Amino acid sequence: MAAELSFHGVGVEISGKRLLQDVSLRVAEGEFVALLGPNGAGKTTLIRAALGLLPASGEVLVNRMPARRLGGRERAGILAWLPQQALVTEALSVLDLVAGARFRFSESRRNAESAAHDALRQAGAEMFVDRIVSTLSGGEQQRVAVAALLAQEAPLLLLDEPANHLDPPHQVSLYRLFGELWRAGRGVLCISHDVNLLSHVGDAASVRVVGLAQGHVRFETPYTDPDLPGKLGEIFGIHFESVQTGNRRVLLPGAGV
Amino acid sequence: MSPRVLLIVAACVAMAVSAPWIGGALDGESGEFILQSLRIPRVIMACLVGATLSLVGACYQTIFANPLAAPSTVGTTAGATLGALVAVLAGSALGGMPGGLPIVAVSAFLAALGVSLFVAALAGSGRARVNDVLLAGVAISLAAGAVSAGLQYSADELQLYAAIQWSLGHLPQVGYRGVLMIAPFVAITGVVLLSQTRALQSLAAGEERAHSQGVHVAHVRSLVLGVGALGVAACVAWCGPIAFVGLIVPHIVRLSVGTSRRILLPMSAVMGAAFLVACDTVARIVLPGRELPVGVLTAGIGAPLLVWLVARRR
Repeated sequence: MAAELSFHGVGVEISGKRLLQDVSLRVAEGEFVALLGPNGAGKTTLIRAALGLLPASGEVLVNRMPARRLGGRERAGILAWLPQQALVTEALSVLDLVAGARFRFSESRRNAESAAHDALRQAGAEMFVDRIVSTLSGGEQQRVAVAALLAQEAPLLLLDEPANHLDPPHQVSLYRLFGELWRAGRGVLCISHDVNLLSHVGDAASVRVVGLAQGHVRFETPYTDPDLPGKLGEIFGIHFESVQTGNRRVLLPGAGV
Repeated sequence: MSPRVLLIVAACVAMAVSAPWIGGALDGESGEFILQSLRIPRVIMACLVGATLSLVGACYQTIFANPLAAPSTVGTTAGATLGALVAVLAGSALGGMPGGLPIVAVSAFLAALGVSLFVAALAGSGRARVNDVLLAGVAISLAAGAVSAGLQYSADELQLYAAIQWSLGHLPQVGYRGVLMIAPFVAITGVVLLSQTRALQSLAAGEERAHSQGVHVAHVRSLVLGVGALGVAACVAWCGPIAFVGLIVPHIVRLSVGTSRRILLPMSAVMGAAFLVACDTVARIVLPGRELPVGVLTAGIGAPLLVWLVARRR
């Protein structure tokens, strides 16, 4: 059975404030879903609800099972999360941090470290293996965080603004990496503020874009939808201009509507 | 294991092994008695207590993500002090419990455990965030401290002297019996806490990240708090509150061998044992004709060391 995460009429309310209302969405292995929306739309809240970090009404199903019924290791074997906040404040070594992400496996320390080395190599962060995480720059830390994500070896990746803190070359290489993982069979739910970065995952026609605003899903459409600029304009409250460069479409945020 | 770790372990073992022979001359039968029946069990006791306090401190600092967390933070020490005071005031006249257990130790143990398990249950409920648990521990400590102060106010001179002597922290001449009394608690605490090394390593990267990696954070936190309290309560009940060992030794270990929990936790136990043996040895010989309470010495060393560490971090 292909791993899948689905939300059915999910709502989240905290301190009397509704952060999500009646959200339904599905992402499975082999699918790439981009979650776009303005600040405060509820994108991060949705991912946190999936992980059981927030209480949610409605149904969050992981492999068609209520997420709350899954054990921690079982859930970690299906969902891996790249949070948007900075890594750690304690002086942890990169190797310990990445090997620590393999908690769900019952394995020797040697196996965990070997897998951590592989993940660091895949994330382009192998040169930091002996460093202390807190001594790395924001971008370097983000690559280490991606390595920890990969070390978990989960089929579904929940990415919360993964290009945070990265310079343009690393943004592109990271989205290409996620594209490779997607084509290799992983499912990806990716929060992004920059819709254009999605063009780097490859096979853009298969990328689904979900627009979220004020806690509601406003639209779900293929990345190649000609009306995508207009739909984005509605949820962001700003005009998007579509510019074709070669075989690539670039959406430029323009003047206010 | 790295050469540095091996070297530190060797130094700690050498410290513990040589400690009984440090001090006054051990000639004749009386010397043999002092060595065999007093100093060796006392050093073993110091090893057990130092290792427990330090290991628990290292674990608490991880689960609370707070470098100032220690066994005293969650009310264990304050609870033990209150229990000991109640026993001193109300029950010391009885002299002991059935089976010959000192009533002060039993009362301190039960009170420390009760307070700590309450905090552990709060942490395990999953409803309280880490800072709430920490604040609950501090609030309970303050409340227990206030009750203790009230009890001291109503005590007579002899009771007050006994209470103060207990609260300074000391390694009593309890012989092998005392060692055997706390050894099971120390063993359970050590085995359970070290079995959580991987979960604690994951937790060191942050509570929510650890949750997403499969760690049942509330479960681990309440287990560590509860089992840690068991070991600390046993130690504090016999030896009084020995300050700073659980707070300062894990910091020294981090500076010496790094933050990998695989090394940090067992080395906290090893270095905690050696630290308390060294302090107790100094406390035993520094004043001619009398002993300094070891808690006074650990506080005297720990407080400036902590200030230095804080200044160094900045």
